[in-house]
Amino acid sequence: MNALLNWLDNRTGYKALMHEALYERVPGGARWRYVWGSTLVFTFVLQMITGLMLWTAYSPSTRTAWESVFYIQHEMYLGNVIRGIHHFAAQAMVVLMAIHLVQVVIDGAYRAPREINFWLGIVLMMIVLGLSLTGYLLPWDQKGYYATQVTTNIMSATPGVGQQVQLLAQGGPEYGHLTLTRFFAMHAGLLPGLLIAFLALHIAAFRRQGLTVHDPKHAPDTTFWPDQVLRDAVVCLAVLAVVLLLAIFKGAELSAPADPAVKFDAARPEWYFLFLFRFLKFHSVEALGVAFGAIIVPGILMGILTLMPLTAKALGSFGHTLNKAFIWLMAIGITVLTVMAFYEDANNPSHLAALAEAHRDAERARELASGPSKIPLEGAVSLLRNDPFTQGPRLFAQHCSSCHRYNGHDGRGTVVTEMTGEGENKKSSVALATATDLGGFGRREWMKAVVVDYPAHFSAVKNAGWYKAAKAKVAAGEEVTFLDPESSEMADWSGDSAALKSPENAENVKAIVEFLAAEAGHSGVEIDSALAEKGRSVAVDGTWEGAIAGTSCAGCHSSIGSDFTPIADDAADGYPTLAKYASEAWLKDFIRHPDAKRHYGSKNQMPSYAPEQLTDTDLDLLVRWLTGNYTKTAVADYPSLITQSAAPEKAAAEPAAATP
Amino acid sequence: MTTIDSPLAADEGTQETSPQMAAPETRRNAVVSFMTAALSFLLVAVPSTLGGLFFLDPILRKKNAASPGNAGGAVAAKKDSEGFIRLDVSASSVPADGTPVAVTIRDDIEDAWNRFVDVPVGSIWLRKNPDGGLVAFNSVCPHLGCSVNFRRSENDFFCPCHTSAFSLDGKKTNDIPPRNMDGLAVVTRTDGKEDPAGTEIWVRFQNFRRTTAEQIPL
Repeated sequence: MNALLNWLDNRTGYKALMHEALYERVPGGARWRYVWGSTLVFTFVLQMITGLMLWTAYSPSTRTAWESVFYIQHEMYLGNVIRGIHHFAAQAMVVLMAIHLVQVVIDGAYRAPREINFWLGIVLMMIVLGLSLTGYLLPWDQKGYYATQVTTNIMSATPGVGQQVQLLAQGGPEYGHLTLTRFFAMHAGLLPGLLIAFLALHIAAFRRQGLTVHDPKHAPDTTFWPDQVLRDAVVCLAVLAVVLLLAIFKGAELSAPADPAVKFDAARPEWYFLFLFRFLKFHSVEALGVAFGAIIVPGILMGILTLMPLTAKALGSFGHTLNKAFIWLMAIGITVLTVMAFYEDANNPSHLAALAEAHRDAERARELASGPSKIPLEGAVSLLRNDPFTQGPRLFAQHCSSCHRYNGHDGRGTVVTEMTGEGENKKSSVALATATDLGGFGRREWMKAVVVDYPAHFSAVKNAGWYKAAKAKVAAGEEVTFLDPESSEMADWSGDSAALKSPENAENVKAIVEFLAAEAGHSGVEIDSALAEKGRSVAVDGTWEGAIAGTSCAGCHSSIGSDFTPIADDAADGYPTLAKYASEAWLKDFIRHPDAKRHYGSKNQMPSYAPEQLTDTDLDLLVRWLTGNYTKTAVADYPSLITQSAAPEKAAAEPAAATP
Repeated sequence: MTTIDSPLAADEGTQETSPQMAAPETRRNAVVSFMTAALSFLLVAVPSTLGGLFFLDPILRKKNAASPGNAGGAVAAKKDSEGFIRLDVSASSVPADGTPVAVTIRDDIEDAWNRFVDVPVGSIWLRKNPDGGLVAFNSVCPHLGCSVNFRRSENDFFCPCHTSAFSLDGKKTNDIPPRNMDGLAVVTRTDGKEDPAGTEIWVRFQNFRRTTAEQIPL
């Protein structure tokens, strides 16, 4: 063995090389404070290993990037761990780099003869930031897409060459396949190559100049191996442990597939760039333009950093003090801005709502992509575009929520607000619904309320301006035709609650509700068909007990119980059509023609949604969402905002109290 | 916070520690060396092992028992539970004189994260026996996976890559291919029910390992 090693040494000189690598002198003994450079090398090795592995499965194009990352994350063996390590080690690298830099400045390790090495270090820092920036886009999810859009737009604001730089980075005027291939080539080829080259120079120069010794009398001199290596290894192991724990228990996020047509209000850069994000949000900074805040100021700060060796040389120990003050101020400034950004986001309801929606979309995209039909060729983005569970709430918020609510919110989980007051007193307050809440529309509870609690169930219309105006006219003695939940044939019938709510009719109410739910036919509603049949005779023949015996729905709503067909105006009975009420076919016709005589006729106040306002595709998505006709989901829906105190009837009775 | 700039001497860095300093601590040094070596090994071994296991995904991962049948789509009507696929050609269009015809097979393919619906997945040679019965061969050469052609001049099957040759009943006629052409189960049906006189052609399309004397499905 020894002979073989000697032979090898004779041919390669490896022993001297090993000796030089391992037995570097450490004056003053091994110290924990010298470990940071080694941890950076270690995290870089970690990134090379995991990065190479991710490369074996990653596919850079706009129709395969998210898809392949999804596949790595959720299907491949240990894929979530490998991606998690890569994700968190990248963040660890930025933190360790900051520690390394601060220590170098405090210890004055940038001074002669180490100026060049200091500058090499700054180049390395730029490369690492470039790696993190390019890597953020590669999953092609909403988060990376919109955050990187901001970055490349900042680039384009660079005076002079901005547009060209942006074109080169993106591979064209808009994001597309080439943006990903170019970012990927930079992330996995160019930048790591540069990093290795500059790291080699950095370490070579470091070896030549030796450690910047903090206190030479701290302990007897020692060598790099094993004393210092042991300390380095222990800290590296701690870094590895933290990264592994985060990778396994927190996991790298993958938000919904990037969609240029879907706003992403939750967009934020990676947390270590948040300080810059927050800095740019100051009005005084914004006022000076993007180039000032995002390029000129950071450029000046980097310039001061780069000039540190010269500052110290020109001004002596005062220069060093100045440099130390600068690095501390930077550290404090960055910390304060980062904390501010986090704090403001955590207390910003609209950001939290955007985050909740982003989370819901991400979960849903994952759920659909995991389904038996996998991901279509058009890419995962089409899964969400064609999904009622995803699009329904958005369409509702856009088209319906100015009057209706969905479980008390606008469909997307947000309270609907309006601006009230004039001038100085102008403030945002909760807007009252002026039409019925459609949460649970067509399901048992909702239909039951129509039957037994009609005046209260439709009481939201009493908040509407047209209602108040009509009431005023009535008070003035005018004759007005309008929908009045308090006084109509239906209100009179449903208001006769003694008979309806009597025990002898309890079973009949149950039956008619079952019947109505069956007619609506919403997905996921299990129907007791015997009970529904009994309900049919209650509705059609009026087989009630007591005072309401013989009163049937069919007495007015003549089409109840039959299939829905759009009855022409001249054939309509003048009462809202209850044929398959709340079913898909009924709902589509109703949204298009609420003013038809078969629906609300002259009493109608709802706008008709023609295809110009709501396309057939969107109408279909909206209706399928309201009727529950979509791929089953385990994703939690937006929580209901209906509380006891804000129940519709109370809100209507005391509108002032409900307005904070 | 004093800084000692070590002298610019490269040889200093390589100087061995003096024996006086190292000698009393030899045993401690051995322990420290061992610990350091062990920890360093761990630092490299953990990520490398995880990475290696990830790379072995095609071997290690249990496939989500994807049914060989179908999960709906356009092919649903053309593929049965045993994997027989209905061809677009009818039995009457296959030449009665035994001349083979090439037919493209369409099926759904699962490819990692995608599912391609009703796409070409391969081709077969289809011909009629003298008795009117149908035979089908996968057109992939069992030698090294090139495509086997019908050679009209010789009235045989021939692979241009490495000159494998087969008779029209699929038997190899030289020693280049390791086995005969891969025959595929083929039946005629009427309205999906087995019928020797039917005109629907149903083939169980499969690919097999190349280079082996035995026929092993992929």
